[in-house]
Amino acid sequence: MPRIRFDSVEKRFGQTMVLPPFDLDFDDGEFTVLVGPSGCGKSTTLRMLAGLEEVTSGEIWFDDRPISRLEPKDRDIAMVFQDYALYPHMNIAKNMSFALRLQKVPKAEIDAKVAKVAEMLGIEQLLGRKPGELSGGQRQRVAMGRALVRDASTFLFDEPLSNLDAKLRGKMRTELAEMRNTLDKNMVYVTHDQVEAMTLGDRIVVMANGLVQQQGSAEDLFKTPANKFVAGFIGSPTMNFLDATLVDDGGTLTAQGPGFSFALPPSMRERTAGLSGPEVIAGIRPASFALAPDDAPAGSRIDLSIKVSEYLGTQTILVTTCGDHEILVELDSGARFQRGTTMGFVVDPETIMIFDKKTELRL
Amino acid sequence: MSQTHERQNPAFYALVFALVMMAIGPIYLMLTTSLRLNVDIMSDASALFFMPTLRNYETVLCDVLWYTPEHVGYCDPTFGRALGNSLIVALISTGITLIVGCMAAYALVRFRFMGRGTLSMTTLMMRMVPPAVLLVPVFGIWTFQYHMDGTYAGIILVYVAMNLPFVIWILQSFIVQVPIQLEEAARIDGANAFQVFFLVVLPIIKPGLAAASIFTFRIAWNEFLIANALLDRSTRTVPVTIVNSLTEYDIDWGVIMATGMLLAIPPIIFTFVASKQIITGMTAGAVKG
Repeated sequence: MPRIRFDSVEKRFGQTMVLPPFDLDFDDGEFTVLVGPSGCGKSTTLRMLAGLEEVTSGEIWFDDRPISRLEPKDRDIAMVFQDYALYPHMNIAKNMSFALRLQKVPKAEIDAKVAKVAEMLGIEQLLGRKPGELSGGQRQRVAMGRALVRDASTFLFDEPLSNLDAKLRGKMRTELAEMRNTLDKNMVYVTHDQVEAMTLGDRIVVMANGLVQQQGSAEDLFKTPANKFVAGFIGSPTMNFLDATLVDDGGTLTAQGPGFSFALPPSMRERTAGLSGPEVIAGIRPASFALAPDDAPAGSRIDLSIKVSEYLGTQTILVTTCGDHEILVELDSGARFQRGTTMGFVVDPETIMIFDKKTELRL
Repeated sequence: MSQTHERQNPAFYALVFALVMMAIGPIYLMLTTSLRLNVDIMSDASALFFMPTLRNYETVLCDVLWYTPEHVGYCDPTFGRALGNSLIVALISTGITLIVGCMAAYALVRFRFMGRGTLSMTTLMMRMVPPAVLLVPVFGIWTFQYHMDGTYAGIILVYVAMNLPFVIWILQSFIVQVPIQLEEAARIDGANAFQVFFLVVLPIIKPGLAAASIFTFRIAWNEFLIANALLDRSTRTVPVTIVNSLTEYDIDWGVIMATGMLLAIPPIIFTFVASKQIITGMTAGAVKG
C-alpha cells in the first residue's frame, strides 16, 4: 500500500483561502482519521485526495508518484460517501459492480467478487433490490461494499456513519474497526465525531479553521493535547476551561481564580516561565475531579454548586457552577447528588493543564 | 360525521356539462362525420341516424392498405404519404432535439464556463420569438441560400431549433435535481465524463426526457405555419395536407375528418408510451433525503 504524503498542499476557492499550505504524512496501511468541527476543511482535504477537488498548489504523493493532477479513476482509490450516493436506477449488485464493469472485468470474476463482498457485509439477500427499497443502514453497507469490491489501495470515507441512528452507528463502527484489522489497506476517514475518531484511528488528525491542530494517536491527543482546541475537542464530556491567574507564593505555584485555587506540580514552574503575564487558562477533565475528603486542606479544594445531575448508570455527570464558570464533573455513581447543594471537590494537580491565554497553546 | 355529499348548485353541473361538451363536442362531430358518406353529411335529414362506414378511412389509407377498396376509383396517395411524412419529421426532430438538448442542458448545469448564465437565459429568450416572425426569414434563407425547401432535413432543422430552447430549459431543472454525489461516486468508480452522463445521469432524468419528448413530438406533429411555407408536394405533413385539400372545387368532408382522426392517433400513442416513463421518485434511495 502506498504511503500518502501531502506536501504543502493549499486550497483556495477563488480568492478565499480555505486551507493554507499544510503537510500530512500517512503511513502505509494506516487508518487515519481527519476530525474537526464542520467547516474545518477535513472534507475538502479528503476530496482533494480523492480528486474531486483541485489542489491549488502543492502536491499529494502516493509513495513517489504525484497524483494531484490525476483523474479520480487513476488514483487507485475507492470512496464511501456520507449520503451513500448509490445509483438509484441500478440494483444493488449492479451498484457494487459498476466500477468493475467500467473496467471491463470478465463477468464471472465480477460475480465472484460481488458475492464475496456481499457475504462479508451480510447483504447477499439484497443484491437484486434497488437502493430505494433499503433502509439507511443497509444502504450504508452497500456503499461500503461498492468501495470494497474495487480492491483499491486506499479507501476514503467521508463521514460514512453520520446518517445512521446512534445504535446502528455504534455497530457499524465496530464492524469498521474489525474491517480495519482484516484488510491491509490505507484508510482515510473523515468525521466530526471524536468518539469515532478515537475508536477507529491509528492516527488522528485534528483540524480546525483550515489548520491542522495536532496529529497523533488517540492517547497522545487525549493526554498531551497541543492546544486548547484539541483539549476541548477530544474527550467526552469536554474539558473544563477556567480563567486563572498564576500566583507564585514562594514555595508552590498555584492557579487561582474566583472560588478556586489549585496547587500546580513543580514541573509547571519551568514550563510557565516564558509567559508574558500571569493570566492563563486552566483545563481540567471532568473525570479529574474527586469528592473532597473531610480533612482536605482548604487551599486545595473547590466548592461547586450542583445545577444538574445526569445519571448515566456507572457514571454521573454533574453540571455545576463555580462563580461564573460552568464546570462539568464526572464521578462514579456511588454517592447521591442533590440539586442546589454545594459540595467540595479536589483535583489531582498532575492532571491540570495550563494553556497560554493568548496563543491557547498548552504549556 | 359531517355531511360529505353536499348538494352542489345546479349551475355548477351546468357549467361542467358545458365544458365537457366544448371539449368532446368537436371530436364527436369529427368522428361521426368521418364515419358518414358525403351524401349523409350534406343532407339535413339524417343528423342523428346514419349508417356508419369506414369508406372514408379506406379512401385515406388506400395507398397503404393491402387490398384495393372497391369504391375507390383513383387511389390518391396524398394522405397516406402525408401521414408518413408527419411521422418521419416528428420522430426524427424529436430524437435530435432530445439528444442535443440533454447534452446542452447538462453542460449548462454542471460545467462552469464564461457566459453560462447569459447562455442559459438566451436559450429561453429564443422561445419568445413567435414562429410567424421566423417564417419569412426562414423561408428566404432555406429556399434561396441553402435550397433546403421541400426537404425533410430543412423542416427537421427548423423544428429542432424551435424546440431546443424549451427542452434545454426543462431538462436543466431535472439535471439540477440529480445529486452531485452520484456523479462524484461514478467518477471515483472510474467513469469518464461521457460515462457519467450516459450511465448515471441520463437514466435518472428519464422522466424529464419523456416529458420533453411528448412536448417536442406534439409541436412537430401539429406545426402548420412553417411546414406550409417550406414543404412541397411530396414532403407535406398532415396538417398542411388537410388544409390544402379544401379547394374551391371540392371539399370531401368525410375524408378530411377521417384524416383528422388518424392525425390524432399517433400523438396519443406516443404520449401514452412516453408518459409511462414519467414516474416520480427516480432518485429514491440515492442519497439521504
